Amino acid sequence: MATDKTNLQLVVNGILNENPIFRLVLSMCPAVGISTTVMNGFMLGIAVLFVQVCSSCTIALFKNVIHPRIRIPTYTLTIATWVTVIDMVLAAYLPEAYAKMGIFIKLIVAFAIITMRLEMFASKENINASFWDGIGMGLGFMLGMMALGFVRELLGMGTLLGYDVLGFKPMLFFVLPLAGFFCVGLMMAFFNYIEIVYKRAKRA
Amino acid sequence: MKDILTIIFRLTVACLLAGLVMGVAFIATNKAKKHNIHVNEQKVMLSLLGYSAKNPAPETVAMHEVYRYLVGEGEDLAMGYLLPLRDGSFSFVTIDLAGTFVAQAPVAITAEKATEAEERTLAIGAAIGAGKAIRYADQTIVVTNNGKRTAYLLPGRFPGFKTFISAILALDPNFSILGLEIMEHEEDPGLGGEIVQNYFKKQFKGKSLETVKKLEVVKTPLPDEYRKALEAEKNGLGAEEVAGIQEQYKDNDIYALTGATISSRSVTNGVKAMVKKFAYRLAILDRVLVEQHIATSF
Repeated sequence: MATDKTNLQLVVNGILNENPIFRLVLSMCPAVGISTTVMNGFMLGIAVLFVQVCSSCTIALFKNVIHPRIRIPTYTLTIATWVTVIDMVLAAYLPEAYAKMGIFIKLIVAFAIITMRLEMFASKENINASFWDGIGMGLGFMLGMMALGFVRELLGMGTLLGYDVLGFKPMLFFVLPLAGFFCVGLMMAFFNYIEIVYKRAKRA
Repeated sequence: MKDILTIIFRLTVACLLAGLVMGVAFIATNKAKKHNIHVNEQKVMLSLLGYSAKNPAPETVAMHEVYRYLVGEGEDLAMGYLLPLRDGSFSFVTIDLAGTFVAQAPVAITAEKATEAEERTLAIGAAIGAGKAIRYADQTIVVTNNGKRTAYLLPGRFPGFKTFISAILALDPNFSILGLEIMEHEEDPGLGGEIVQNYFKKQFKGKSLETVKKLEVVKTPLPDEYRKALEAEKNGLGAEEVAGIQEQYKDNDIYALTGATISSRSVTNGVKAMVKKFAYRLAILDRVLVEQHIATSF
């Protein structure tokens, strides 16, 4: 079964129709825990993007030799391998970026979104489609995290990307992990509402 | 049965492949990583001493590394120090837990090799003879300027909220804190992770041994003017003003981070323990060095 979508459609699909955070509602732990600032969201997003693309391609390449009974351990192993490799490469060649991202990269091993994409997509499709799907999912996750980070950083700390824009802290509550859930819920409702409005406008 | 065998076989192959990939990546990157860590440590140490790219350390400044080991012989436990001597050679001095001198043995090792943990252990093992177990404890860097001690740098590790925090602490010859730098930590980003921020770690600066011994964490909010002084780099406050405000808060306790009391407390206790133990051990070591007429390079 090969997908009939073009590469661009696959990327857009990951960002809009199947956005990992607001549509698939996967990987909620990091979304809630890490998305306290725009920068954190961006860093984690980049890391997920890399791991997702590498893992998707690997699984798409080896899908025929993976025994169906042990596919989950194999996925986990693949993800863990890529996370470790990326962690080591970054530490060696980009120490400055690693100082900021190091803690996020190690978290990725347990991300539901990556395993789910391997199971749903990469294990059935060819490498090319898996690559673009990985890009789409990674970008979707990154943009979702940044949108969450934007709202939480602005409301919680009154800053954006570390720059003080409001001059005061409107609601410190938004930085705490618990507020992440409220934030995800409210934004999900907002995006659903936009979709309804958009569809209605299209029909009329 | 056949299924079990295929599953075992394929999973084994997958693991071996993964292991191979990770192994290759490790070998390819390990050297560069170690180099980065070393360069970073050097940079941090110099900045703690007040030197930077604009204000480089003069040539008269020298760093002398002292490695501390635990030496076990049967039931007895003692401290061992690998000390650089004035003539460029190394010596391993053993002191028992009561603080009396036990033995001194010359160690055949060069200064470059002394920085490598394995080489060091081998050389020390050869120097003190068989039957003794040695375990690496920590290292101290004695900084001298023109032969006079100006500071001590203590790289250390203490428990944080979830896992260990490693830090470098700089002390002046009277054991007042010159500065603290967090090297590695896994505290929660945005909460405990704030321990790396100036407004937290700079609170330790200037605290004397007496203050550190009684240091606690208070949950009152950080006063605004103190915060401004701590973040002087960001808001460009004058050096004199900063010094004035810091003087005023010098003997105060540490103000906890909002939402991260445990992390704040861990760092404070860690620093407290490091300073106290170091001051105690150094006094013993210095006394022994004088008594035994051991001419160290610092």
